[in-house]
Amino acid sequence: MATTAKEIKEFEEKQEWWWVAEKTRSSRLDYLRKAVWKKGALGGNYAPGIEIDLEFPELYTETWQENEGDPIMLRKAKSIGNVLENLPIFITDQSQIVGCVGSAPHNIVSYWQGASMINEEIYNEQGILPQPEEKSLERLAALNEYWGGNTALDELAKVLDPEDAVKFMSGAIGWGTPSSAVGYATKDFRHIGKGFENIIEEIDENMERTDKLLRGNPSPDLLPLYDKLPRWEAMQEVLDAAIEYAARYARLARIIAENFETDPKRKEELLRIAETCERVPAQPPRTLQESIQYDHFVQVVVRYETYEGAMPHRPDYLHGPFFDKDVNINKSITRDDALDLLGEHLIRTYEIGIFSPRWTREGLQGITGTWVWTMGGVNEDGTDACNDCTTAYMQVARLVRIANPTFSFRWHPKVKDELMREIFECIRHGLGYPSLRNDPILVENAMYWHGHPLREARQWVTQSCMSPCPPTKYGCQPFRMASATANCAKIVEYTLHNGYDNVVNMQMGPKTGNAVDFKTYDEFFEAWTKQMKWLLNILVRTVALGRAKDPEFFSRPILSAYYERAVETGTDAVDYTNGERGNAWVTAFTWVENADSLAAVKKLIYDDKKYTMAELIEALKNNWDGKEEMRLDFVNNAPKWGNDDDYVDDIMVQCLKTTAAHGKEIKCVCGNNIPILPENVSGNIHYANVVSALPNGRRLGDALYDGGISPGPGLDKKGPTAVLKSCGKIDHVLDGRAFLLNQRLSPTQLAGEKGYQLWKSYVKSWDDLGMDHVQFNMVDDSTLRAAQKDPEKYQEVIVRVAGYSAHFVDISRKTQDNIIQRTVQGLG
Amino acid sequence: MKCVACGFEGPVDKFRYLYNARIDASMSMRQCPKCNEWNAVDELKDEALEIVNPGDAPWGKSAGIEGISA
Repeated sequence: MATTAKEIKEFEEKQEWWWVAEKTRSSRLDYLRKAVWKKGALGGNYAPGIEIDLEFPELYTETWQENEGDPIMLRKAKSIGNVLENLPIFITDQSQIVGCVGSAPHNIVSYWQGASMINEEIYNEQGILPQPEEKSLERLAALNEYWGGNTALDELAKVLDPEDAVKFMSGAIGWGTPSSAVGYATKDFRHIGKGFENIIEEIDENMERTDKLLRGNPSPDLLPLYDKLPRWEAMQEVLDAAIEYAARYARLARIIAENFETDPKRKEELLRIAETCERVPAQPPRTLQESIQYDHFVQVVVRYETYEGAMPHRPDYLHGPFFDKDVNINKSITRDDALDLLGEHLIRTYEIGIFSPRWTREGLQGITGTWVWTMGGVNEDGTDACNDCTTAYMQVARLVRIANPTFSFRWHPKVKDELMREIFECIRHGLGYPSLRNDPILVENAMYWHGHPLREARQWVTQSCMSPCPPTKYGCQPFRMASATANCAKIVEYTLHNGYDNVVNMQMGPKTGNAVDFKTYDEFFEAWTKQMKWLLNILVRTVALGRAKDPEFFSRPILSAYYERAVETGTDAVDYTNGERGNAWVTAFTWVENADSLAAVKKLIYDDKKYTMAELIEALKNNWDGKEEMRLDFVNNAPKWGNDDDYVDDIMVQCLKTTAAHGKEIKCVCGNNIPILPENVSGNIHYANVVSALPNGRRLGDALYDGGISPGPGLDKKGPTAVLKSCGKIDHVLDGRAFLLNQRLSPTQLAGEKGYQLWKSYVKSWDDLGMDHVQFNMVDDSTLRAAQKDPEKYQEVIVRVAGYSAHFVDISRKTQDNIIQRTVQGLG
Repeated sequence: MKCVACGFEGPVDKFRYLYNARIDASMSMRQCPKCNEWNAVDELKDEALEIVNPGDAPWGKSAGIEGISA
């Protein structure tokens, strides 16, 4: 029965936005949204029915084994080629965009060349092996037997400093893999947009020119050229395979249209799919459908090369001109048709599923990667880049309500009010996105830290959750980052325990002295500084070595073909000598605990002398057991970040400035600076059982604070202005690369026009204080508690976890509770 | 301490510490070693107060305006 306007109004009044979406979206989007499989692991496990794709690694391994003598990039290109040309493909009913990572809609993939430790994890995952399980176990064992000890990470382990390797892989101090086997890379969209056939032609020219040089007068300068030829050949191999992959979809669509489809409208759509796939990615797109299809092929194909866990992208900028041409100028499609295409773009992206081991899933609950699409911003010349497609993406996001990809909006003072209202509606509908990024601040920041020229800095995209990167010839960043991710709460923990880790029971940091011997807070902070430097250094040097060795151990033929600088120089995209400017950062998980813990130590140990350091250390070693009154004293009677209290805010700024100074001393492989970037994804939950008790009153087991600079949940007691004022004391250009701030707002208070105006005033204050990021949760406690009690009824409730959103029912109970306990700020 | 669900009695540290959903309150969640139920525990009194099921809010509501309006 059709839903009436009155019923929709009732859903709106009850703020049950998921029902509003379902009742107002097109029948096509409704079907496609419901037909897509949920690939993100729930709190711990994959949803019933999700299966690991074994056909993909078998095809890959088969060719890999046949080409043992080839240089690695060529060997890999041939392996990927075999996959793209032979892996089963499918077209979902009612779909207009094709291409999937995996041979069936319910599949997730994994990359056997990457890491044995991940391959072996698959044995531990109940229910994801295809039936019959016994046969699948045999196939899995055959794959693991071949790759065991021979993966990229196995090779890297042989060259790492053993002590560094043990500490890095202990799980205590860092999160991530020092290999592009697991990571993400910026895409050089201007270069990719030429069309794959044109890139192949460029490579042909490079090879011909090189061939001529090699046949000329011999010289030592020519010797490196011999290595370039097989790399170029590899790039061509994968581009050809990608064109063939699209051609297979074209053939399949024609076969269905001409032999099986009885509905004339659908037949027409299938033929349009065929024409689209015959055009892209071989040639540049001409229409919105071709542009989105091209984009989707680019993203899918690269995920047959490696686990790309993020999706640096600016889709409104890329597709906006086609949207405008088709919808507003030529009127070849209606706006509703265009919304269907954009909505399916989101859904097809959501469909991409990649296997993650448990430790990764804990840090990225409910999703398969932080696919944060960048929207809005400015053009190279500084003019407003927002367009009708930006608005359309905001509108369709509310209709399909998926948790991945999410949007990050590059706010600047010229953004029109109508678009701000669309953004607010997304937040009010509880999507948790877009996050707001302060464009002028981040452009300046990109120039300050990495020396990106202004016109390039203005093109930035979100590299993963937070860090901006220009997707330009020399700006593109091919490797996850410089240093994996630092579990920064360990800095203060090791300061207290002389570098010893009481959770993993080993000496991790340097011996900076017994804390009971520190006579002053300054001495304590000096030890903190040494631990901070040690932590950053061990992570940076480990990942730098992984980065340097990556072309030799892993290799990226597809990404290389996607990079103009790699095509031009015949190098691997990851090769740091091909002109890359460098855009590295250290993600600083669990950062704010340092400020609150240092403030508590300064106040209660050194200033007030209420407790001795020996008493504190004893209490911490016992996880505050039997010391509840003392623990509450450290929580409630020591200043806490987020209350506009200079005592603790000055400590936060001191920590950041000290670390920023070190960020100028340490260099990435390109020789550029490495600022920190405080944020957490759901690492605050992952590390709950890794970080021991701290002076901020936290016990081992308690969730850490959720944001990069968000106050501790419930500890920001003076309202949103005080939070902003504290955060505004940080220099968001000089003190780090970006700073994640979570804010929880009341949906009741922000209803209607008044709500919008309150929020807009908040955004103005946020900008006035020079902050670079803020994101909002706007779902009330009662809904979240009801969803905990009856998850089946609340499948579509979305929350902002950290740098990403997730369906509330897909995250662990602990993460759910952590989100509920965040302070709901009243504005105005 | 006595488990509210099964009556198992033992020292508080025998009940596995899970987490403290409000850092500034004295209540935490601990798991009974016998029946595995989650007890809300007053850490000042070492006393189990109630069983915590999904959706229960033994700490009341969030801090901030929702808490004030509760």
